Amino acid sequence: MTFLTIVFRDLWRRPIRTALTMLGIAIGIAAVIALVGMASGYEKGIVKQLDVIGIDVIVSNMEGGLMPKAFDEAIRDQVAALPDAADVTTVFMQMLSVEDAPMIMVSGREWGGFTWEKLTVVEGRMPHDASERAVVLGTMAAEMLQKNVGDPLQIETEEFTVVGIVDGHSLVENGAIILALPLFQEASGYEGRVNFIDIRVPTDASKERVEALCRKIEESFEGLRAVRASEVVGTSQGFKIAKAMSWSTSILAIIVGIFGVMNTMLMTVFERTHEIGILLALGWKKRMIMGLILAEAAVMGLLGGIIGVLLGAATLAILGTLPEVRGLLEPDLSQGLILKAILIAVCVGIASGLYPAWRGARLSPSVALQG
Amino acid sequence: MSAVSPPAPVVYEASGLAKEFDDGRVAALQGVDFQITAGEFVAVVGPSGSGKSTLLNMLGLLDSPSSGSLKYRGDEMAALPDPARYRAREIGFIFQSFHLLGTFTVTENVQIPMFGQGLSAKAREARAAELLDSVGLSHRVNHLPVKLSGGERQRAAIARSLANRPGVLLADEPTGNLDSKNAAAVMELLAQLQRDHQTTLVLVTHDREVAAHASRMLTMRDGKILSDSATP
Repeated sequence: MTFLTIVFRDLWRRPIRTALTMLGIAIGIAAVIALVGMASGYEKGIVKQLDVIGIDVIVSNMEGGLMPKAFDEAIRDQVAALPDAADVTTVFMQMLSVEDAPMIMVSGREWGGFTWEKLTVVEGRMPHDASERAVVLGTMAAEMLQKNVGDPLQIETEEFTVVGIVDGHSLVENGAIILALPLFQEASGYEGRVNFIDIRVPTDASKERVEALCRKIEESFEGLRAVRASEVVGTSQGFKIAKAMSWSTSILAIIVGIFGVMNTMLMTVFERTHEIGILLALGWKKRMIMGLILAEAAVMGLLGGIIGVLLGAATLAILGTLPEVRGLLEPDLSQGLILKAILIAVCVGIASGLYPAWRGARLSPSVALQG
Repeated sequence: MSAVSPPAPVVYEASGLAKEFDDGRVAALQGVDFQITAGEFVAVVGPSGSGKSTLLNMLGLLDSPSSGSLKYRGDEMAALPDPARYRAREIGFIFQSFHLLGTFTVTENVQIPMFGQGLSAKAREARAAELLDSVGLSHRVNHLPVKLSGGERQRAAIARSLANRPGVLLADEPTGNLDSKNAAAVMELLAQLQRDHQTTLVLVTHDREVAAHASRMLTMRDGKILSDSATP
């Protein structure tokens, strides 16, 4: 018999209570996994999209809601004239409800811009020119909208024809409706407006030169922000808010878990007063009693954490199939997040066990023996 | 000239030992004085409320005196730096209601006091097996206490009390919950273990027949020692 045998035997004494307490922790950890996994999935999706397209610098107005506020597209030519802005293109992107899809990305792209380059036609063709009332759909968008080549598609009040289905090599690209910029500007009532200027810099441009370009853009055009693509997610206000919200919600769930375990462990200590008295009479040190109670709490945390990771992974998988989420982000369950979540669960267990352990260890053996 | 054996060392020495409860409203011990030497078998007898269990609790460091002095091998017990170590290494407790832990098997119960004593799991198991064999319970090692008779439970508790080879055994009404046949068997076992290991045994009982197994009897009443005599 080892110390752990004692720990598990004690937990097994009241299996339903132990299971329910672990479930309390598990729900908190599942919330961490699901919410943080979604935020992380969103981050990875954007990073991958930028990487696939080959964007080095993004210029946008960081005000606005889900998407940055639109600004005058004439700025594009002034940006293109700056040194190190080797290739410049504009995009107007909105999240819209289109036909049966409650939320889908619609991306109007400057005709001939490099953002069209990496789209591989899977079926059909690309639009002939910027004036053809045609759209191409990312593979996932086609699936979500249940559209085939040749089908009509209504965006806002305008009707277009699906001429092709494309593979954009990233989740965000594959989840989008893509069309020529002027068509989308007209359909959405934003003529002459864009919300992104994407820039490629020369291949030999150093980090310092790219940063200098960003500074120059920000100085020249009030209200615009220019960030290197690798930093775009980290500096995005929307992403920061999403991340803060996911962690705040998770922390609330964890606090509920802490009180759940503390309640269970306190009940355990009260119920086992007599047994603790016996252990003290048999020569167990107070720190061994504390260690036993803390170990029980930590084991509940660990097992609750593992169950929570499984629940969280299942939740992520389900969330990933929801129409509101599909095509926008790929829920991300990284090893780091799993380890972090389990570590949090064990810490929750230990933190919840501290007060009960202290209560148990300070019992007087003679009084406890009568208890 | 005949050889004179040296006197046995004093294990416990009490002087003016008193214990009060309820802010002095109850005087459980009222200034008792005694000495117990190594290897003695002392029975403390008296009616309920005479203070005998309070005295045993103090000998086992489960409680502390309100006043007076109680020394263990010359050291003031109240000042012992590590009471848990004393309870684990120096004494073994035997209780009237056995106090075996219900969710652990007999062998596991015997191993429990050995935790924190630097023994490996294998050494603990081997020691428990040896002790259970010595009390005649080798066939019951993997049974839960609930499956044992009263006499068997007390024998398991006796094995547990010997787990760390203590110099002193403190038994509080060890036959109080047993029928006369089992009580006699347990007392025989205790007396034999005391003789074999030269253990100091302090036994609290209200039963004169049980006390007769001891070599010395302290009779208590109202928190005082009325008499201190050799058993007939």
